[in-house]
Amino acid sequence: MTAAIALAVGSVASTAPASPVVAQVTAIEASLLAFVVLTALATALARDVLAAVIVFGAYSLGMAALYTFYRAPDVALTEAAISAGVTTVLLLLTLAKTTRIDHDAVFESVNFPAAGAAGFLFAGLLLTMDDIPAIGSPDAPIWSNPDVTQWYLTETYAQTHVENTVMAVLAAFRGFDTFGEAVVVFAGGVAALIVLHREVFA
Amino acid sequence: MTDSDDDTDMTDTATDSEADASTGEGADEQDDAEPDLPSHRAAPRSGRLDSEERQGTPYTESQVIMPTVKVVAPFAFTYGLFITFHGSGSPGGGFQGGAIMAAVVFMIAFAFGIESTRDWLANTVVVALAVGGALAFAGIGLVPVALGGAFLQYDLLPIPVLDPVKYGMEAVEVVGIAPIVSGVLMGLFFLLARGFNSDGDGFGNGSLDEDGSIDEQQRDEESIDGPDATDDAAVADGGLVGDGGHAGDGAVDTETASAGGDRR
Repeated sequence: MTAAIALAVGSVASTAPASPVVAQVTAIEASLLAFVVLTALATALARDVLAAVIVFGAYSLGMAALYTFYRAPDVALTEAAISAGVTTVLLLLTLAKTTRIDHDAVFESVNFPAAGAAGFLFAGLLLTMDDIPAIGSPDAPIWSNPDVTQWYLTETYAQTHVENTVMAVLAAFRGFDTFGEAVVVFAGGVAALIVLHREVFA
Repeated sequence: MTDSDDDTDMTDTATDSEADASTGEGADEQDDAEPDLPSHRAAPRSGRLDSEERQGTPYTESQVIMPTVKVVAPFAFTYGLFITFHGSGSPGGGFQGGAIMAAVVFMIAFAFGIESTRDWLANTVVVALAVGGALAFAGIGLVPVALGGAFLQYDLLPIPVLDPVKYGMEAVEVVGIAPIVSGVLMGLFFLLARGFNSDGDGFGNGSLDEDGSIDEQQRDEESIDGPDATDDAAVADGGLVGDGGHAGDGAVDTETASAGGDRR
């Protein structure tokens, strides 16, 4: 998990200054996408649960790098810390409490109805690709709209005196929501205590 | 014998040598201790997810992992603090920083054993982080309300000299969100490591009084009444667990008792 974090930092540091239009898929992007798709398939098909958990951690690492590449470092940090790090550890911890069965086959046999359903969903999503603006396009509604995104970008520093707009939205503009989320995290811990019939965490 | 074979299968996943070593002594002790088990403890033995016998987390001292973690942990922890404190100026914030700091504790637990980490990081610390964070967040939100403003209206915060908006947000991230996230994640980790508590008939083993407080008296009597049975069972656990799981249980029991005393 430290490797995941370190790699995320390295990617943050090496993020190039924003280029207005990214029309072509670069080599880094293509290899990251291929890595993510391959690890996702391997997670679904791996016969050994331990292997699936490890590959799933690699998938999260790839997603974190991809988020960094798409200039969402806050999301990338969360993905690296929570998904690649904490979730993998918790899954491994749970696996240690089960019995491990030795398998001859590396991969699960494909469940064709499930694969067909997933294929249909994938094809349906592909049909919508045409209407999605190119990554980094200045005309994308999410970026060009003056009432929301641009308002936050121009007003954040004036109103909250912090540079990170994401944090300003989380802690100031939507502070009450964040309070609710923090309480949800707390309630999650309490719920785990109740479900496992424990009175103390440690 | 089937039980002990079954149990060593668990440890097999991580370490063959330790499992082999513990098979001999564990089997002997267990044969002696088995008939003394209280009925409510004996039943779940066959269950795969039962905690008391299974919670011996497979652990081996590794000469590679321990020094590596010793070197890496301070840097990773500092990085977590950096992410937390610099959330206003760079990517990150309390959530990510808190998760990284909790991950440092996971790392230490994997290198030096979960049970010893559990003893080192007392339950009080984990609970204080989670509860204190939630209370601090609510407190920072409610101070402006008390001064006639809205919830989390940072510019009303009575912070001298410094900019109240910026440092109010920093305070929410640093003393609110980060402790909640790190405390809850550490708590989940230790909870999962210990597993399901099949003792007794429900949450806490104590019954609820009419005023809603947990009946500590009854639990105290239980633990005094049956020292022989529980001790024998604990010996069996210790033999199987092999790395001080019993010590952890004892610490938790005393903590629970003292917490109950405080409450009353």
